[in-house]
Amino acid sequence: MAPAHVLQLAVLAGALALLALGASMAFTSANVLKRLVGVAIAHVGALTGALGLGAPATLALGGAGALLATLALGAAIAVRLQEGYGAVEGPEIDAADQYDEPPDEPL
Amino acid sequence: MAALLEIARNNAALIAVLAPFVGAALAALAPAGRWACLAAMAAATIAAVAACDLAARALTMAAAPPVAESGLALRLDGVGVFIGALVATLGALIAWASPAFVTRAPQTPYAVALFLLALTGWIASAYAGDLVTLHLAFALASVATVAAAALGAERDRAALSAALRLLIAAGVAGAVLTIGVALIARAGGGASFVSLAHAQLSAPGAGGVGYGLAFGALAMMAGVAPLNLWTAAFYGRGAALAVAAFGALGVAALLGALTRLAAYAVVAPALGEGVSRALLALGLASVAIGSVQAVGARDLRRLAAYAAAAQAGCVLIAVAMGSPAGFAAALVQIFALAIAALALTIAAPPHGALEALDGLGRRAPFASLALTAGALSLMGAPLTLGFLGRWRLIEAGVGGGWWWAAGAVIFASLSAVFYGGRLIERIYFRRASVAHERVHEPWRVFLAPALVVAFAGVLMGADPSMLLRAADNASRFLTGAAP
Repeated sequence: MAPAHVLQLAVLAGALALLALGASMAFTSANVLKRLVGVAIAHVGALTGALGLGAPATLALGGAGALLATLALGAAIAVRLQEGYGAVEGPEIDAADQYDEPPDEPL
Repeated sequence: MAALLEIARNNAALIAVLAPFVGAALAALAPAGRWACLAAMAAATIAAVAACDLAARALTMAAAPPVAESGLALRLDGVGVFIGALVATLGALIAWASPAFVTRAPQTPYAVALFLLALTGWIASAYAGDLVTLHLAFALASVATVAAAALGAERDRAALSAALRLLIAAGVAGAVLTIGVALIARAGGGASFVSLAHAQLSAPGAGGVGYGLAFGALAMMAGVAPLNLWTAAFYGRGAALAVAAFGALGVAALLGALTRLAAYAVVAPALGEGVSRALLALGLASVAIGSVQAVGARDLRRLAAYAAAAQAGCVLIAVAMGSPAGFAAALVQIFALAIAALALTIAAPPHGALEALDGLGRRAPFASLALTAGALSLMGAPLTLGFLGRWRLIEAGVGGGWWWAAGAVIFASLSAVFYGGRLIERIYFRRASVAHERVHEPWRVFLAPALVVAFAGVLMGADPSMLLRAADNASRFLTGAAP
């Protein structure tokens, strides 16, 4: 196996690991800001992998633009959550929402 | 005049994409909500006319009309023109209903502008000529939908957490789609749909992983179970306009993109069987989980989200068959799902709890009619589009030797009889509680689009020849080539 191919596989493996780490952080963290950081890590992993695979430049540029827009919007929502709920912790926000409206029946 | 019309028709795809984009700019600049709504109505109607004309020409001759050079990577194929016309038409209906969502709040023009931006992205995804354009179109649509959903926080702070759920899901899905597209492009020698259609995969393993990641990302954004953990909060508490737009247009566009991508994937001999198995497993899981979730729902919009997951599962099962009949069944099913979701979300009472439906038939007969039509379509009652979609799926399954697929469809229908029937029972056979008795229908005129959709659903179910012909022709030139 050629060294370049091995390097590409290593980059891809690292990118997928970053993607998985970021995704799990985004879905499981209680803190809203940590969830946004998770999204950012997932995107960085995806973009690294895409560049390592020689993907079209438009994909990397578009992906980076989408990441920036997502983070900017997420930061704005986090600020409004702090203003509205007095917290950016998921459990506190969920508790306030459940107080406003009970969840669906347990199955 | 005739020359101008000809130019417009040659650029119909571009007009369908750009009209809502320009409309969004006008709406954002509008001094008041009503002017923003007028801009939305005009822009979305232009897009709908262009997209429907394009679909009529393409699906009549069962081959893609020529696309003028525009600088945008556009490509017309059967699934794309079908979904583009569906999304643009439903987008116009929502735009005509947008005054129902308008308040005197200063951010109303921005909510309308964001809806039009999302519409731009969803229409562009249907006509995307390559996977990069498809990716960017969905990124635009999801960011705009999140922002529109968050604007509902002026009325209910829970709209913020609803928007955040969609943001996180769409953000992760976008990252997964990025690397999926890169792997597909690497394996197929390019990211354009033309190259995918003729691809001799140099690395089938990488291509398979890429398609798997891309399907997973699109399924997560479309709310396919079990990847739909975010949908209940978004549907239940997001701003009404954003929820109606995403529930009908976004889900249709995403499932259309998934169908379109699958059509290109099954062409590759090394991938066809694996793609089919993966989609089948996801489809069966979505039917089962979505149906059970819908049975337990206590909120109309959440019920719509779960029911959409069950219907999306039927779409995936149809796509997994990989046959023209299967793809045609998937398109009919997407059509039925979008119509039912629009009727349910746009006519839902402001307070979405199921108790708010008690006695609604007397308090709000027009809204009740639309909700009933949506519920009947979910149940797959005869003379509705839901019945038609499932019948075509069973036909395709039996024709392809997939007898057990009929079992999954029947399970979805039986579950829908329970939760859809519960809606109808509450609307017409219960008395309103004191708390909801004083809530009357506030916007009769602007409910017209929901009624149009409901009646269209019934009429198309009674005489489905046009829809079936369109779906059959669309499935005959799935990848843009004449049969």
